[in-house]
Amino acid sequence: MKVRFLAKLMEQTRNFCIIAHIDHGKSTLADRLLERTGTLAAKEMRAQVLDSMELEQERGITIKSHPIRMDYKRADGERFTLNLIDTPGHVDFHYEVSRSLAACEGALLVVDAVQGVQAQTINNLYLALEHDLTVIPVINKIDLPVARTDFVAGQFIDLLGCDADEILQVSAKTGEGVSDLLDAIIARIPSPQGDPAAPATALIFDSVFDPYVGAVAYVRVFDGTFAKGDRIAMFAHDRNFEVQELGWFRLDRIGQARLMAGEVGYIATGAKDVRYVRVGDTITTLAAGCSEPLPGYTEAKPMVFSGLYPTDNDDYDDLLDALQKLQMNDASLTWEKETSAALGFGFRCGFLGLLHLEIIQERLEREYGLNLIATLPNVEYHVLLSDGEIMICENPARLPDPREIREVREPIVRATVITPKEYVGNVIQVTLDRRGVQVSMEYLDTERVSLVFDLPLNELVVDYYDKLKSVSRGYASLDYEYLTHRRDDLVRLDILINGDPLDALTCIVHRERAHNWGLSLCRKLKELIPRQMFQVAIQAAIGSRVVARTTVKPYRKNVTAKCYGGDITRKRKLLEKQKEGKKRMKLVGTVEIPQEAFLAVLKVER
Amino acid sequence: MAPPRAPQPSPLGPGGGLYIHVPFCRTLCSYCNFVRTADHDTDLRARTVAACVAELALRRGKCASLSEGRRQLRTAYIGGGTPSALEPDLFTALLSGTVGKLPVAPDLELTVEANPESFSPAVVDAWRSAGVGRVSLGVQSLDADVLQRLGRQCDPATARGAIVLACRHFERVAADWIIGPGVQRRRLLAELTEAIGLGVGHVSLYILELHLGSDLSAAVAAGRVAMPSDARTETLYLAAVDRLAELGLRQYEVANFALPASESRHNRAYWSRRPYLGLGPGAHGLYGRWRYANTGDLSAYLASIEAGQLPPQSIDHLTPAARRLESVVLPLRTAAGVPLGLIPDRALDLPRGVRAGFWTVDSGRLRLTARGFLRIDAIEQALARGLG
Repeated sequence: MKVRFLAKLMEQTRNFCIIAHIDHGKSTLADRLLERTGTLAAKEMRAQVLDSMELEQERGITIKSHPIRMDYKRADGERFTLNLIDTPGHVDFHYEVSRSLAACEGALLVVDAVQGVQAQTINNLYLALEHDLTVIPVINKIDLPVARTDFVAGQFIDLLGCDADEILQVSAKTGEGVSDLLDAIIARIPSPQGDPAAPATALIFDSVFDPYVGAVAYVRVFDGTFAKGDRIAMFAHDRNFEVQELGWFRLDRIGQARLMAGEVGYIATGAKDVRYVRVGDTITTLAAGCSEPLPGYTEAKPMVFSGLYPTDNDDYDDLLDALQKLQMNDASLTWEKETSAALGFGFRCGFLGLLHLEIIQERLEREYGLNLIATLPNVEYHVLLSDGEIMICENPARLPDPREIREVREPIVRATVITPKEYVGNVIQVTLDRRGVQVSMEYLDTERVSLVFDLPLNELVVDYYDKLKSVSRGYASLDYEYLTHRRDDLVRLDILINGDPLDALTCIVHRERAHNWGLSLCRKLKELIPRQMFQVAIQAAIGSRVVARTTVKPYRKNVTAKCYGGDITRKRKLLEKQKEGKKRMKLVGTVEIPQEAFLAVLKVER
Repeated sequence: MAPPRAPQPSPLGPGGGLYIHVPFCRTLCSYCNFVRTADHDTDLRARTVAACVAELALRRGKCASLSEGRRQLRTAYIGGGTPSALEPDLFTALLSGTVGKLPVAPDLELTVEANPESFSPAVVDAWRSAGVGRVSLGVQSLDADVLQRLGRQCDPATARGAIVLACRHFERVAADWIIGPGVQRRRLLAELTEAIGLGVGHVSLYILELHLGSDLSAAVAAGRVAMPSDARTETLYLAAVDRLAELGLRQYEVANFALPASESRHNRAYWSRRPYLGLGPGAHGLYGRWRYANTGDLSAYLASIEAGQLPPQSIDHLTPAARRLESVVLPLRTAAGVPLGLIPDRALDLPRGVRAGFWTVDSGRLRLTARGFLRIDAIEQALARGLG
């Protein structure tokens, strides 16, 4: 009887996610599903209710995953449990997306009726197909007057090989088609398989830190049952924990007595650190646990690195504290202490990608009130030393002397760019300028072209995405994944200010580009560094060889000639005001360098 | 704002001084931003003199050591505006009602500013009998073209006459010169040489500054007047410094040059932060821990005093950090320089400044050279930043 009851419960469950490009309406569609199923009371409802972070609401993106359980009564009276696993919508979070997909049986592939299929949609679709997910094609925003529903339907048919009548048409804004969509979810997506009596096995697809119950794992249970008080263990480390609490997701977490095979929910572990609850790891019970982890776990690997320094050295401890707090919730953020001759004490931080870097930096400044200088983003180089050893180098300033190096290998990514056909030439040019190599080109339909390139990640992180957008009037979309490390003729380019290296601006560049890059950088710095008491010499150098040079001329005359009794207060107040203004300047030796100079290197033409 | 209550340190401490501001001018110069007015008559001038005298009484009533008269006045300076615009009898009344009411040191330095065009034999007589020992003449230039561009009333002949008159009747004569539009190097040097030859023992050489809202800055903005380039100003300034040195006038501050023992003791007191009392509209004073500035609005000033109250004043409370900053940047302006102990670590690249000829470092002091004085604002900023 009990077994039959459990089997029935599983049969009435559907676990699914939504795959969509930014702005194609994923969060709004989620709002409609919550409304239509009566999951949230009217007073709990607001736009993009699942994106709770201020930054998510503002940028219209999902950073953290927000699963939610909906109870749905079909027209014929039968009841179902629908678990929606909202996934992060950016290429930086590729791995997180793949784990979320692994927790589902089905996916809604949502495409904007005006914009059509984008690069990232395709890659995530392939990811879903790899996980054997049932894909339901959905055209959203059909209420828009400029909607190209037939055109997008054509794209779907080409991509999925589906029939036209399998494609759902909805307007998340007006709610049109949402009931049909709910019925399609139940009819087409298979119910979860699994054995409630087998050893307990659950996949962690996300985690958060909660000060009361410690690290909380977001899980999909595949087999067996977890209960409050169980001792649980993971496979990525040797620690074990006692389940403090477990249950389902609504807008908040709803505690339950147990979580069973087929269910999506959370397990509060009591772990002091989210790093014990790693995305992709498998949770099992200590007693009669499973012996093999679920497949697909890899450690989240930072791809982009940047030094973060407080503008005011006194803020160092606050920055440390803020990073520790952010890391409690974000295991993919890594950092270690670092000292820069120019910037003082700070941290070399590792990020999943540029958006991740931007988000962390913005949160540090916004939520923690810190004023930061970030060094030029760079990547992880593998350096083959003369003695045959491989050195991993995440900080260009640490690259050894050329005489000690046999070769330098840099990360190469495979990038997919989808663009309207009229911008193909521009896209190829911009990519070749960044040492890209074209791998393939394919017409997705009569309008859109998919281009695949192999490209050094370092070239990509600096400004490739911005460039791509600007040469395609915003239409090109980009996705990429790590391919390999490959050797090239790479050199370390130092920037010297009055002969002292400004290590925060050191970068690794291709030898052929060192001169141009160095000159652009020197010119930009010349624009940004104000005149000072003495001449400021700005040089770019490879080793001891100077490849470019500019100078900032000193003041000729900078004097207030008259200063008697009545002028003194005015003079002092002016000095105090100027001193405040200079807090945004970094003193390097005795040269004042404005904070913008450290950012401007990102914008330098090459 | 109510004045702080006694006990207060006396503004007439050892070596303390008195400053009186006379806000009247016959015409307004295009570059000036001092408190001054050209709209006045005998009655207004008389009321103002009476008010300055009354202000001293009011301030004495608030300050024990002032009223007890234990401290001697060492220097007094009547500035403007144009003190020589006051009628001789009003001038006499002003001095007898202020300096005359205070115990004075035997070597009192009493300076009065004058404009050449209002510096008449009658003024000379009145000032001499009132005990004025030092006259500071606002010459600015002996070049008709330069004077005209500055909006000065005076012509070169009048200016020369005033110099001759002053040197004949006063032991110490100072003169102001200006580096501004139209100034030619050879003429400037010749003028300075001529003035020293006539008996001027002290020169203040100002690099003209544009003040927002002045007629001159409007003329420059409109392209009617061209300011000299920084390079040209530097050349003129350094040439003048050299010439004055040849003539025996040592540079003792950014803009001030004097024969031995002819420095303005009153002005030196400003840079060494000695307390002083200020009277009159727009006048300012220093007690140990606060500076005050009277309102520059003449009618508001008169109304308060005539109602038996101190004039509206802005008070600048000097925190320890403010006093520390002043103690570095004010001596920095002088030839004596700043003790190295007061220079914050790493605020200045000392050896590089020596190589560049901006300063010297010896006997435990940092002293700016003329080239260094030309860049003093940047140096002050570096020091202010270093002081944190």
